[in-house]
Amino acid sequence: MRKKRFILCLCMGIAGVVFALEAGANPSLLPKEPPKGWILAEGPRVFTKVNLFEHINGQAELFFKYGFHRCTFAVYKDRNNPDRQIDLDIYDMGNVLQAFGIFSRFREEDRSMDIGLDSYLDDHSALFYQGKYYVALYATGPNPDVLKQLATRVSGSLSDSSPSPREISFFPKEGLKPGSIQYMSEGLLGHQFLKRGFQGTYVDGNKESKLFLAVFKSPEEAKTGLRAFRNYLSTKGKIVQEIPAGFGPNALRGKAPYQGDILVLQKASYLVGVASPEFGGKEEECLADFVNNVK
Amino acid sequence: MTSRLWNADSSFAATQKTPSLEYRTLGKTGLKVTTVSMGVMNCSDIAVVLRAFDLGINFYDTADCYMGGRNEEMVGKAFQGKRDKVYLQTKVHAHDEKRMQASVERSLRRLRTDYIDVLVWHGHNSTDEVSDREQFDFMEKMKKEGKIRFSGFSSHSRMAPLLREAANCGYHDVALVSYNFTHSKELKEAVAMAAKAGVGIVAMKTQAGGYTKEKMEGLNPHQAALKYILRDPNVAAAVPGVTAIEQIEECAAVMGTSVSQRDLRELKAYQAFLENRICTLCGGCTGECSYGVSYGDLLRAVMYHDGYRNDFLARETVNSSLSRQIWQRCSECSSCTAVCRRGLQIKEQIHFALTLYPHDA
Repeated sequence: MRKKRFILCLCMGIAGVVFALEAGANPSLLPKEPPKGWILAEGPRVFTKVNLFEHINGQAELFFKYGFHRCTFAVYKDRNNPDRQIDLDIYDMGNVLQAFGIFSRFREEDRSMDIGLDSYLDDHSALFYQGKYYVALYATGPNPDVLKQLATRVSGSLSDSSPSPREISFFPKEGLKPGSIQYMSEGLLGHQFLKRGFQGTYVDGNKESKLFLAVFKSPEEAKTGLRAFRNYLSTKGKIVQEIPAGFGPNALRGKAPYQGDILVLQKASYLVGVASPEFGGKEEECLADFVNNVK
Repeated sequence: MTSRLWNADSSFAATQKTPSLEYRTLGKTGLKVTTVSMGVMNCSDIAVVLRAFDLGINFYDTADCYMGGRNEEMVGKAFQGKRDKVYLQTKVHAHDEKRMQASVERSLRRLRTDYIDVLVWHGHNSTDEVSDREQFDFMEKMKKEGKIRFSGFSSHSRMAPLLREAANCGYHDVALVSYNFTHSKELKEAVAMAAKAGVGIVAMKTQAGGYTKEKMEGLNPHQAALKYILRDPNVAAAVPGVTAIEQIEECAAVMGTSVSQRDLRELKAYQAFLENRICTLCGGCTGECSYGVSYGDLLRAVMYHDGYRNDFLARETVNSSLSRQIWQRCSECSSCTAVCRRGLQIKEQIHFALTLYPHDA
């Protein structure tokens, strides 16, 4: 009886591996062992650009904007209570910048679980990015302990050791709302002309401001971006002529619809700026630190 | 008018030129929605939603899962204090009733409201799902509890049979379907059938990878794509997924514009122009290359380069998808066997992709 069961398990295992390989899935991305008391109940299945819609519906578009390559999906279940389930998605986003970008669009606040390059954990979900991978785990019921255990094991099976995008380190620490730095693949601050870049939220009393870093291909393109910003402010907002001392000739100050006061300058291939409902706090000081950090 | 997020005065925007608003009735819901509405899902900044509101757009599509709920939160923040001026559509996934109920409650919290105007099932793929009695009963329960006003389903595939089923079963008030100038006559007829049965049709993916203005004479392709779909009177609203203020302004400007003979000619030219350029990633040509070249990625790179003008994405796609050896194979191959059922000139597109970033190859 025991021998029959062993053969059956072996056949199922081989069939699973064959299916996974045929489907293009990479079983080595999954942890060798699930957490104690849990089993791999489904997968791995792989989703590509062709069929990601079938897996995550319209949300696929956001992943495409971040250079999605493929997703390896698996389902884990509690051996004693199959209603308790965790869905695991390992997204290969092509590089660490895009993995961080998509992670930053999903995490809600700073609730790190110290896994990968940055992570987020709540009762129902665990998210992290590591190298080119963005990993999302969702539990059917509150289960942070097992989520963390499984996330730790997945992290151990991912081989990409790329460091986090260096632009993250440009943001000054003082006043930074933890977990607020995001990378937008397009439409930074809601503008086409700013294209892609980073933003972080700063808290000063009841007021929230944003530091932003628009990334261009060259200093010339960044200057073009600044001209577009100037044009936008002059037609839809207001330009303020007085530029605070120390920000140089390539700076622009004004008031923008929806964003409020803006101070932005070009440095190398970047536009570095601050947006705030109304200046009057530490915005200029914060921006000066930010500009100094930009290398 | 004040934005709660930034406490910034939005009167700047309100004083800008506003479009002539055009409304249609969303099927049997009776809701009067702006024909150009907004798909919020990819939106990166609340400023875009606020701009849409200032432009007069009144129907917004989001989902429980977009950005892990942050998308709903953005919508909730944007419309706090303005809830009675907008219609909100969000989604729920089919699970057991407890989970679905919890999902609806979460959506209500994030949207900062006590009712959802339209709740749709996320991504139906089969006619069985469309006519599922249990799912219908759940939506009816939500309606009785006052949590939602109307219900429907969304679909990205097999839309024609699903719409026909919706017309027959009468379970749905709204259908959110992928519908644009690249789709078939069969879908157009199914849209008409569903609309006649009272199903409010909301079109998504209306842009189908819009192309650059410079490629045509005078016509803005994003606007053309919207105009094209709104010419169908059976479509109540389109929800283009915009990410920037400039895009929503461009889309909103389509409302109230009449379609002249010149426009029709340009639309026809636009459609003809796109017919051989847009890869819908249907997968129909997969495996047709005897060398196993992953040319689908090359076609997508062309779309990023030409259509979205996103060189970064195009370069990333090209660089990451093919090895140097495969590049070599493609550029030296004189017998491309790949065939597109939609008439896309795959060989030409591949060769164009090969010329995009010669230094990276």
